[in-house]
Amino acid sequence: MLRLDHLVKKFGGLTATNDVTLDFPAGTLSAIIGPNGAGKTTLFNQITGHLVPTSGKIVFAGEDITGMKPAAIVRKGIGRAFQVANIFPTMTVEEALASAVSAHAHAAFELSSAFPRRDVKTRTEELLALLGMEPVARRISGEISHGDQKLLDVGLALALDPKLLLLDEPAAGMGPEERWQMMDTVQRLWKSQNMTLIFIEHDIDLVFRTAEIIHVLRYGAVLASGQADEIRGNPEVIEAYLGSETDATEADSREEPA
Amino acid sequence: MLNIDALMNCFGNSACLVTQSATGLIIGMLLFLVASGVTLIFGVLHVVNFAHGAFYMIGAYAAYSAYGVTGNYYLSVLAGAVAAAIVGVLFERLAISRVYKENLLMQLLVCYAFVLICDDAVKIIWGAEYLAMGIPSEFRVPPLRIAGGVVPPFYLFLAGSALAVAILSVILIRYSRFGKIVRAAAENATMVSVLGIRVPLYFAALFGLGCALAGMAGALAAPVRSLTPGMGLSILIESFIVTVIGGMGSIPGALLAAILLGFTRSFGSVGFPLFVDGAMFLMMVVILVFRPQGLLGERMVR
Amino acid sequence: MNLAHPFVRAAGLALVCFVLLIVLALVYPGTWLLDTLTGLFASGLLVMSLHLLVGYTGLVSFGHAAYFASGGYIFGMFLQTPDIVAAFGAWSVPVATLLALLGTGLFALVVGLICARLSEIYFAFLTLAFQMLLVSVIQGLVQYTGGDQGLMGGIPRPEFLGLDMVQVKDRFVFSAFLFLAGVLVIRLVTLSSLGATLRMVRDNEVRTAFLGVNTYRVKVLAFTIAGAVAGLGGVILAILTSAAYPEWAGWAVSGEAIFTIMLGGLHSFYGPLVGVVVMRFINDVTLIYTTHTDLAKGVAILFVVLVLRRGILDWIIDLRAARRGRKEDDNVSRALSKAGKEAEDAAS
Ligand SMILES: Nc1ncnc2c1ncn2[C@@H]1O[C@H](COP(=O)(O)OP(=O)(O)OP(=O)(O)O)[C@@H](O)[C@H]1O
Ligand SMILES: [Mg+2]
Repeated sequence: MLRLDHLVKKFGGLTATNDVTLDFPAGTLSAIIGPNGAGKTTLFNQITGHLVPTSGKIVFAGEDITGMKPAAIVRKGIGRAFQVANIFPTMTVEEALASAVSAHAHAAFELSSAFPRRDVKTRTEELLALLGMEPVARRISGEISHGDQKLLDVGLALALDPKLLLLDEPAAGMGPEERWQMMDTVQRLWKSQNMTLIFIEHDIDLVFRTAEIIHVLRYGAVLASGQADEIRGNPEVIEAYLGSETDATEADSREEPA
Repeated sequence: MLNIDALMNCFGNSACLVTQSATGLIIGMLLFLVASGVTLIFGVLHVVNFAHGAFYMIGAYAAYSAYGVTGNYYLSVLAGAVAAAIVGVLFERLAISRVYKENLLMQLLVCYAFVLICDDAVKIIWGAEYLAMGIPSEFRVPPLRIAGGVVPPFYLFLAGSALAVAILSVILIRYSRFGKIVRAAAENATMVSVLGIRVPLYFAALFGLGCALAGMAGALAAPVRSLTPGMGLSILIESFIVTVIGGMGSIPGALLAAILLGFTRSFGSVGFPLFVDGAMFLMMVVILVFRPQGLLGERMVR
Repeated sequence: MNLAHPFVRAAGLALVCFVLLIVLALVYPGTWLLDTLTGLFASGLLVMSLHLLVGYTGLVSFGHAAYFASGGYIFGMFLQTPDIVAAFGAWSVPVATLLALLGTGLFALVVGLICARLSEIYFAFLTLAFQMLLVSVIQGLVQYTGGDQGLMGGIPRPEFLGLDMVQVKDRFVFSAFLFLAGVLVIRLVTLSSLGATLRMVRDNEVRTAFLGVNTYRVKVLAFTIAGAVAGLGGVILAILTSAAYPEWAGWAVSGEAIFTIMLGGLHSFYGPLVGVVVMRFINDVTLIYTTHTDLAKGVAILFVVLVLRRGILDWIIDLRAARRGRKEDDNVSRALSKAGKEAEDAAS
């Protein structure tokens, strides 16, 4: 589904993505882990067209999408939720989701239909149910809990019926209870929606439990790739990442550098 | 609309060249003084002071009255600056400081209300008619003749003092203790207030300083401009043009743009008298379209 | 016809208003109220169309008066050309109106294409610059526009459909029609799918782009529609005054339009109209006692900003919501949105 081919991204002297070659087969649920500043978000930013790679190629569904504009890439079927909930603060949850659905249904510029169009409304209700967000549907997005805002962000991406969904630390900044719930939801969404999903997460336990395939990133380069067991047993990973550092990075939710 | 011949004649004639350049220079320097006030307040407090023109007007009228009483021009200029500073501090304390945290529109609205009130207050105190102060007695001396052109010594005084004061205040903000405190407070008010410094006072003082610059510009200009309620509007717009063309927050940029505008005005009145304003706005359009960060601005704009 | 459909309801409301205004014109004996209302229609369209940009799309334009003036000038210059009027005869006024609408829309489209690339304060300044440029051009092209003096000598307005624009009642009815048509267009835009896109751009433009929407195009479209409707406002004023002046494109007009919106309420559809009426009211009442209307407006605005801290209609809606919230002991924010919706529904 998605293939990264010798991807390099340099910010001045800093190499944020260092010769990354990764393959994400269709229908898989993969995780990317790595310490703060490892270049995880930067990787996403390149896939979604936020940043243009210094060199290398991004191939999605057989097509080279390197250097395309974000809006164009979205239309190819790549949806994304952000590390810091990126929502529409004055709209209600329902309205925000419906707007996203509407945009996906090519109604963004439509003057002839009242908002939300009937098909848009139906799909929005489906999404609300899928996300379990009916109780907060009529609340103002900017005023709901942090966890709900992160979920709404995922919902906005989901509204586009993406073939590939990228989630940047969906559980960041949540309490332990909420984190587990969030990962359950992610897994449920992935199963029910028949898509390829990649998420970024610091918490090793969450990742091991949720993901099929795990890629460990350090200093912009891929340190290891494989299933939970392989990663768990990889001495390099243990040394570099599973050491004492985990606790420090867990609760972190820094601003998006984009 | 365009009179190329007249313009070319002027360029070819040293007398015209000198006279127009002198005019351009004082327009530019006064504009720079006003714009540096806008830039100071924006640069430190991040407030776009849309009421800046009103302080220019207050300075001019205060100077007019002070000159009538004392007959001393230097005192009048001081009076103009002080009056603007006092009103500025009051305005900051009573109104603007309450909307520092609000959005741009709220600040705009408060400034607009203040401008409306000031314009009418001036009408009530000084009347709605045009007032003229005339060249002060200190400067009623024969003009200098340079290469055939006429340059009144008063012009030189104007340009010189405007430039000097603007640069002095910039130095004050950059290097003095006061400047350092107020800039730090704008970055992180809580941190600075913990040190026992009364932050609101510093903000008010800085705002007052910015207004004093406008007031002084108004006072300096009073002898060569007619005074009218609403005179602040055109100077406000021009100082915005200067800030935008020069680059928001850049003092050297403002200086460059002010001179550019001054010369456009003075030579434009020869070559395209009906389109002088138009030329300025055209410059602003071209800059914003092709180089939105301004001539010397560094901030990146999407 | 589906009476529950928002479009149908909005159009129905406009129609009812139109009928009521016609009745008013028929029964009202004098002229004062009718001409006052006609003037309010003109500023109403200016302000409502600007609200589409400021309130719904998050685009703060400092130069909206340019399109208002453009409408008035196109209308006036067209009708002041004897040959054209001779050619169109009784259709002159409708054709001129249509031309003003389209011409202004085109003008706004061109400016929008240039301005929409910039963000926030730079966008505001660029729109301002274009507006001032228009003032300069009007003042400079004396032989066509009358320069500083404006389009003098009256604008010929041949009778059409039995309406004679010299008659107060007739021009009131025609202006009411234009006004309601303009407001209806804006209402439909806000109710449509495009309207939701505008609100997305206002709330979070970057995220909107990430939903695959070309936000630049959204902004240009909003700018064009708003400009065209503002032009219709200019047509009304040109009909009323039988003239057009460069001041119509001036800074003061744009400024006052923004403040009127803020005064009336930025977050409600009809807030700006409340603002127009309040501004006019303050103006006229003050004039009874003194000429210092600006002073009164300034004090009123300061009161609204510093005491109410929001526009008048927004304040009323919030107040009602708060009261209801206390009564029902309900979640305040939910009540807020509910009351806001109800107020809009009740009004439409
Ligand atoms: N636009 C940018 N310009 C310059 N440097 C950048 C930019 N974006 C990211 N960086 C740098 O690249 C490195 C990788 O950042 P990135 O945000 O990808 O890390 P991350 O793995 O997502 O970290 P975290 O876990 O904290 O989110 C960091 O050192 C960051 O400072
Ligand atoms: Mg990150």
